[in-house]
Amino acid sequence: MGFLAPWFLAGLAALGLPLWIHLLRQHRTVPRPFSSLMFFERRTQSSVKHRRLKYKRLLLLRLLLLLLLALAFASPYLLRSIAGMAQKRTVVIAVDRSFSMRYGDDFDRAKREALARLAKVPQGTPVQAVALAGGVEVLSQPAVDAGEARAAIAGLKVSDGRAPYGEFARYLRTLSESTKLPVEAHLFTDAQKTAMPAGFADLRLPSDATFELHAAGARERPNYYVESVSAPKRIYDPKRVRIQATVTASAAPKAVREVRLLLNGKVAQTRQVEVPERGRAVVEFAGLDAPYGWSKGEVAIDSADKLGADDRFLFSIERTDPRKVLFLHSPRDSRSPLYFRTALESSSEGAFQMEARTTDQADGVALANYAMAVLSDAAGLSAGAEKAIARWVSGGGNVLVTLGPASSALAKAPVSGETLGGSRYASRSGERFFAAAQVDQAHPATQKLGQMEGVKFYQAVAVEPGNARVIARLSDQGPLLLEKTSGEGRILLLATTFDNVANDFPLHPGFVPFIEQLSRYLSRMDGAVSNVAVDSFIELRRDSESQGTAEVIDPDGKRILSLEQAAKASGFPADREGYFDLRRADGRRETVAVHADRRESDLTSVAQETLALWQNAPGQTNAAAAAESTSKPWSPWWYLLLLLAVISAGEFFLANRYLSTDIDASEASPQKEAA
Amino acid sequence: MLLQRYLEPSVLAGISNLELVAKTVVDGFVAGLHRSPDFGFSQEFAEYRMYSEGDDLRHVDWNVFARTDRCYLKRYRGETNCQLTMVLDASNSMTYGSQRVNKLDYARYLAASLAYMASQQRDAAGLLIFNNDVRNYVPPSTRQGQLMRILHAIEKAEPGERTDFAKPFRHVQEFLHRRGIVVVFSDFWERAATIIETVAPLRYRGNELVLFHVLDPMELRPKLDEPVLLEDLETRDTLEVTPDYAAKEYREKIDAHVEDLRYRAKGAGIDYCLVDTGQPLDEPLRNYLGVRKGRF
Repeated sequence: MGFLAPWFLAGLAALGLPLWIHLLRQHRTVPRPFSSLMFFERRTQSSVKHRRLKYKRLLLLRLLLLLLLALAFASPYLLRSIAGMAQKRTVVIAVDRSFSMRYGDDFDRAKREALARLAKVPQGTPVQAVALAGGVEVLSQPAVDAGEARAAIAGLKVSDGRAPYGEFARYLRTLSESTKLPVEAHLFTDAQKTAMPAGFADLRLPSDATFELHAAGARERPNYYVESVSAPKRIYDPKRVRIQATVTASAAPKAVREVRLLLNGKVAQTRQVEVPERGRAVVEFAGLDAPYGWSKGEVAIDSADKLGADDRFLFSIERTDPRKVLFLHSPRDSRSPLYFRTALESSSEGAFQMEARTTDQADGVALANYAMAVLSDAAGLSAGAEKAIARWVSGGGNVLVTLGPASSALAKAPVSGETLGGSRYASRSGERFFAAAQVDQAHPATQKLGQMEGVKFYQAVAVEPGNARVIARLSDQGPLLLEKTSGEGRILLLATTFDNVANDFPLHPGFVPFIEQLSRYLSRMDGAVSNVAVDSFIELRRDSESQGTAEVIDPDGKRILSLEQAAKASGFPADREGYFDLRRADGRRETVAVHADRRESDLTSVAQETLALWQNAPGQTNAAAAAESTSKPWSPWWYLLLLLAVISAGEFFLANRYLSTDIDASEASPQKEAA
Repeated sequence: MLLQRYLEPSVLAGISNLELVAKTVVDGFVAGLHRSPDFGFSQEFAEYRMYSEGDDLRHVDWNVFARTDRCYLKRYRGETNCQLTMVLDASNSMTYGSQRVNKLDYARYLAASLAYMASQQRDAAGLLIFNNDVRNYVPPSTRQGQLMRILHAIEKAEPGERTDFAKPFRHVQEFLHRRGIVVVFSDFWERAATIIETVAPLRYRGNELVLFHVLDPMELRPKLDEPVLLEDLETRDTLEVTPDYAAKEYREKIDAHVEDLRYRAKGAGIDYCLVDTGQPLDEPLRNYLGVRKGRF
C-alpha cells in the first residue's frame, strides 16, 4: 500500500480535536442551579475519574471521519496482483501488406511467419488478426477460435497503401483499453523507416502490452524507382508541353537507367539518365502529341530490382482547345483589348483565346461558347445585351467588369448593379496618383499580384461595395477590385481600366500573372495535378447539395460506387494504383491516375536500436519491471468516499440526538426555575 | 382519607386557585384529625395563678378572693382574638425545587392554609413578604375579605434578590403592635446563630414565634451521579461538587445546621419545624398545631 499524496496524512493531527472536545471540554457542563452553596466546598477529583469520555460512539465516529478524510486526501493505493489476468491476454497478429512488401518474397514470408506464430497461440486465448495498409485493417475480431484469424491471414494480398506504425500503436492502446486485457502483439513487417511516425511518442504501447516485431526483409534492399512526374493536367498546344520525371536510387549504386514516356500504352519518348548512388536524377520530355480528350500517361524505367511496381509512375492528361474569352469594349477604346490580349497570350500554357468585340456588336453573341467575358468600360452596352449577359452569369457564366471614364456617368455598374459615384481623379484632390493600399492575397485572382508596388492609378470610379466583397483598395480607401456572385456565376468589378491611361498597370510585371490568374479563376480552371497518391481522397462533387450523380470506374473497369453513394458521396478514397475514370456530379468527365506513395519505395530499414527501444518500451527488461507489470495500482478512493458518507450520516444522527437531549435539558431547567 | 390524598404537594400544584388549595389542605387535615371542623380555641379554664404586681385586675377571680381573701388570677386555655402574622421568605433560594413543587410554592400553600384556618376561627391574620427587604405587607385584621387579601398577596409574591434577615425583621418589629403569633417560612440559608439573633427580638415582645425551615429533599439528602457544577441561585457563584462530598460531608453539615438551629431556637423559646417539601402538607400543620397545643 502506498500514498500518492502522503503529505495529507498530516491531517491526522486533527484527530486531537474531537478528543479535546469530548474529553477536556466535557466536564464544563451547564451549571446546575442550587439554592445555596453554603455547605459546599470545592473539591478537585482525579482527572482520570473526573474526565470521563462522554458520547463514546459519537467520538468514535468523529475520529473515524477525520481518519478516513485524511486517508482519502492522501490518495492511497494498493498494488493488486494481476497474475491471474496475465494468463488471459489478447494476442494480436499483424501483417504488413503495404506496397513495400512487394519486394521479393517479403510478403509471403511475413504471412508464413504470421501463420506459424498463430499456430503457437495457446488454446483458449483470444486472438485477432489485423493488417497494415493505409491504416489498420481489422481482419477478425478477438476470438478464442483462431480459425477466422488464420483464414484472414492466409487470404491476405499485398496492397498499394502505406503501413503507418504510429496508427498500429494507437490501435493497440485502444484495444487494451476496450478489452481491459493485456495485449500480446506480433507485427510481421519489413521494418521500413518511412513507416515510422514523426515522433517516437506515437509508438507508445499500453503498459501491460508485450510487443514483438518480426522483420521479414533484409536490411539493405537496393531499389530504383520513379519518384515523381510533373505533367500538366490539361494541354492546349502539344508543342508547349513539358513533362519532368525524377528517378531515384534507394540504397542502390550509381546506374544508367532508360526512362520511357508512354501515352495510352505506346512509348512516346525515351531518354537515358544516369542515377547517382543513393541519389536522384531528373528527366524532361518536351512535347507530347496527345489526342483530344483524356490520355493515360506513364513514365517507366527498366526494372533492375526486386520491387518492380515502383518502376512506373502514372499520370493522366487532357488535351483540349484553348478557352475563348469574350472582350467587349467601347469602339473608341482600342488600347484595352491590346493589353489584355497580350497578357493572356503571354501565359505559359496558352489556355485562352481572346475574341474582342465592340459594345455595339454585343447583341446576339452566343455567350455559351465563352469561358468568361470582359466588359471593358462598356457603357454603351444595349439593355438587351446587358440582360443577356446577366442571365448568362446567373446560369454559371463569369464576367470581369472594368469601369472607365465612360462608365463614370452611369448610376449603376453594368451587369453587377453596384452603385457608382462618378470618377475620382487623383490630380484634383492634391495627390498626383493613387496607389494600391490593401490587396487580399488569399484570393485566387490576386495570389501572384503582390501589393502592386509602383502601380499608379490616376483615375478610378467610386463604387459603393454593397454586398460585394472588396479584394483590393486604393490609398484613399476606395474599392479597386470587388467580387460578387450572381446565381451560379462570378462577377469581378475593377474600378479602373486596362487602357494604360487611367493607370500604368499594364506596363508593370504583375499585370500578366494577374490577368492569367484572373482568367483561370473566372473560367474555373482548377490547378489540380494530374496524379494522386494511393489513399488520397478524390472529390466527386464540390457542393454536397448538388443533385447530380457521380460515377467511378476503377482500373479493372468496375463501378465502385453504389447507387446511394453515386447520388450522395462527396468523394472516394483511391486505394490502389491505376487509372480511375470519373464522372463528377457536375457532369465533367476525368481520368485520375493513382500511384503508390513513393515513401514506400524507400526501403531503408529502421535502426536496430530504435526497434529494440520500441519493443522494450512497455517495460519488461528486468525482473523488477516484470514483477511490477504483474501488479496494478488500485485506488480505494470511491470506497473511502462511500464510507465517509455513511459515517457522516451516522455522526449527524448521533450528534443531533445527543445535542437535542442537552438542549432539552438546558431548556427544561429555566422552566423549572420559573415554575 | 380520600381528602388526605390531596395534601400531596404534587397534587396541590395542579390547583391554581390558592384559596381552594388552602381549603383543601385544611379540610383534609381536619378530616384526618376526626375532629369537628369548628375546632378552635374557647374560653376554657386552664389554671389559677397568684396575683403579682402589674397583673390586670380584670383577670382577678373575685369569687375566690371573697372566699379565701387571696387574689388569684384566672387563666384560660385560648385566646379567641389571637393575631397571626406570617412572614414569607421570597428570595431566589426559595425557588429551588427538585420536584414539581419548589420551596416557595410549598411555603405558599402552608401560609395560605394557616391564613384559612385563622380566618375560620375569626382570628386576625396578616402577611409579610420579604427577601432582602420587605416586599409586601398585609396588616393583621379580621375584616371582611382579609383572607382574600392575604391569598392575593401570597399569589403575587415574586422571588427575587437575596435573603437578608436583619432589615426585614426590623420592620416586622415595627409593624407588630399587639402580641400574637409570628410564623416565619424560610430556608434559613444563614448561620444558625445569626438567624436566632435576628428573629429573637420578636419573641421579647411576647410574641409566639414559629420557624418553618422549608427545605427540599435534595437539599437534605443530595444525590449526585457525577461531578456537577452547582450555581448558587442568589449569589450566582459556581462550584464544582463531587458526588462523594455531597453524599458524606454535605449531609453532615446540613444535619448539623438543622440541629444547631433547632437547638438555638429552643434555647430562645422559639418553635422550630423542619419542613421537607417532599412530604404532604398535613405533616407540618400537624407539627405546628402540636407545638401550639403543647405550649398551652
